[in-house]
Amino acid sequence: MSNSVISVISRFLEEYTTKTSNKLKVVDAYLFYILLTGALQFLYCLLVGTFPFNSFLAGFISCVGAFILGVCLRIQINPDNKGDFLSISQERAFADFLLAHTVLHLVVINFIG
Amino acid sequence: MIYLYIIGVDMAQPRVFCLVLLTVALGAQALTPSHHLSLSDVERLKGLLSQPFTDLASAYYSIVGLSKLGAAVADENDACQFLKAQLDPMSVDSLFFAAEASQAIADCEMPVSNETRDILLAAVSEDSTVTQIFRAVSALSSLGLPLASQEVVAALVARIAKEDNVLAITTALQTATRLSQQAELGGILEEIEDLAARLDDLGGVYLQFEEGLEATALFVTAAYTLSDHADTEPPLKEDQVIQLVNSVFSKKSWDSRSEAFSVACAAAALSSNRFHVPVIVSTQGPATVSHSQPILHLLVTDILSNPLASANLLVESAQAVASKSVVLSQAPFSLRDGIFELNFMASQPASGYYQFTVAVTGDSRLVANQVELKVKVSTEVAVTNMDLSVVDKDQSIGTKTSRVDYPFKAKGSFTADSHQNFAMNFQLVDANTGVELTPHQTFVRFHNQKTGQEVVFVAEPDSKNLYKFELDTAERKSEFDSMSGTYVLHLIVGDATLENPILWNVADVVLKFLDEEAPAAIQSKTLYMPKPDIQHLFREPEKKPPTVVSNTFTALVLSPFLLLLILWFKLGANISNFSLSPSSVLFHVGHACMLGLMYVYWTHLNMFQTLKYLAIIGSLTFLAGNRMLAQKAVKRIAAEQSSRLAKYRSLR
Repeated sequence: MSNSVISVISRFLEEYTTKTSNKLKVVDAYLFYILLTGALQFLYCLLVGTFPFNSFLAGFISCVGAFILGVCLRIQINPDNKGDFLSISQERAFADFLLAHTVLHLVVINFIG
Repeated sequence: MIYLYIIGVDMAQPRVFCLVLLTVALGAQALTPSHHLSLSDVERLKGLLSQPFTDLASAYYSIVGLSKLGAAVADENDACQFLKAQLDPMSVDSLFFAAEASQAIADCEMPVSNETRDILLAAVSEDSTVTQIFRAVSALSSLGLPLASQEVVAALVARIAKEDNVLAITTALQTATRLSQQAELGGILEEIEDLAARLDDLGGVYLQFEEGLEATALFVTAAYTLSDHADTEPPLKEDQVIQLVNSVFSKKSWDSRSEAFSVACAAAALSSNRFHVPVIVSTQGPATVSHSQPILHLLVTDILSNPLASANLLVESAQAVASKSVVLSQAPFSLRDGIFELNFMASQPASGYYQFTVAVTGDSRLVANQVELKVKVSTEVAVTNMDLSVVDKDQSIGTKTSRVDYPFKAKGSFTADSHQNFAMNFQLVDANTGVELTPHQTFVRFHNQKTGQEVVFVAEPDSKNLYKFELDTAERKSEFDSMSGTYVLHLIVGDATLENPILWNVADVVLKFLDEEAPAAIQSKTLYMPKPDIQHLFREPEKKPPTVVSNTFTALVLSPFLLLLILWFKLGANISNFSLSPSSVLFHVGHACMLGLMYVYWTHLNMFQTLKYLAIIGSLTFLAGNRMLAQKAVKRIAAEQSSRLAKYRSLR
């Protein structure tokens, strides 16, 4: 069982490094960074407590929101998905990404206290 | 009331039985007048009417009103001159006032002329108001001028049909009293009953017109004057008469002369008519008898507080309120100097309250002649067989009993500690008859002279009416606050029916308690002293984790950013494609400003200000970004096209 899991993972990693374009890997790196930040915040909350609960929520939701928006951007600029997003060019996707982030940041800063 | 008559029947005397039946047949009255004019009220009424008059109307009210009360104006000659001077022979009202008033004064004649007669006769017609007809008819009759009664009746009947209000009909009734007895007064007499139906019943106690006191009083006067004149009993039931009395005489200070006049007329009518005379039975002073004052005095008067000439007073029954036994039955009062007397103590009643039912007889006109009174019999109390003793709880040592006589104090003091009880036995008897009494208040009071403490207990009688009081020192120590010391003992006896309440210093008692709280000398309850201040506790801030931990985690959370930079560097991300066109520069600057605005929002601004700045910067950034991205798009599409073209060319 574990053998098959390891083989799947290694295969996946191999395909990833060869097949995905650089642009997408840049975005993936960004997503990974967001993920780590969110996970670390959650760990702090588990260990130390939820004292400024609103701040924890603001930070955590910021990470979650940024991750989701990043995923959306990645989907939209992936050339393999061009058929699904005919009317949305790459620049348009990026502009949407920026606008959504502005709103997200506004809400997060409001909530952070 | 009914059960009193049943007890009367139990007496098994045929005469009593007949009287009982008769009284029941007449209808046992529950209603007696609650208001009448006392002598001071009559004086006040006369005073109001005696005030100096300024015009004919006030002169009329004063002169005639006073004559109804049996009094006269201060200076009759002056009054007569005033009337003659003020008279206006052309006015019906003026003639009415002057004529009526002059009738009440002896030797006062108003000048009469043919013109006067013509004017007055002309006023008697269907076209004048009822008041005008009344005044004309009264003036004619007072001045001794002839008038046609039948014409007047016809005019009145016609006017009543048109003016259907209470005052008009009352005035019509009054007019009918001046007409000849041969005239057809039947129709007008019926109006009394119709008017009586219009009276408002207030709580079963008052009966009055909504037009007020004056209208009610004038109605009473008119009804009885007309009934006397026509020799027909007025269709008013006895209860209604009493209720009318209550309404008319409940007001003891009158607003105007005309109101006082109407009350005076009503009082005169009710005290001297041929059919209904309400009688008032009242006590002279408080209704109390005792051995020193054994006689009960009652006054029987009419509503003007004049004693009734031919009245006999009889006690139908006197029943003790507590035991419901009948003490006296069918005993007559004796009349002395206008006051009815009865020696109640001759029946040797026990002390307490008695319900008397008295009846006034002697005149068939009397209304409300059955009255209920509450009479108190008071007596003096004596304390006998007062025994004080200190009883040991386990009864190993014999009790020490000493007898104390009232009003002396016990010679020695009594000591009781926690193993002993202090006991008191005594009897309360009626000083005159020797019967045992149970007064309402029998208290035993302990007073500590030093600390000012006062503890009061109630002494209770047992089934044989012997009073016992026992103080268990251990059980009662909380009442004494465990203060040992000498307590002065008082016995307090009181009751409403006792003439000599008792406050007797019986003895000194030394009480010894365990667990004495020595320091507090005066243990007065600190109920009303200021309480300790409450300090406000502000909400404590929540516990924060130590700064070290927070700082560590801050560094930890920021560390993935380094990782991101490293990854990007490894992937070869660069900014070599950065075109220095104004729109892209502006876009980046604007974007940086927006991020900076976020920080400033966190520290300084509120949402509204932020949105304002964001709108400005955002729109600039948007325009610049739009431009920049469009340029980028164009470049990308051109690059794609050229690469595709190159691929196509290479394939060929």
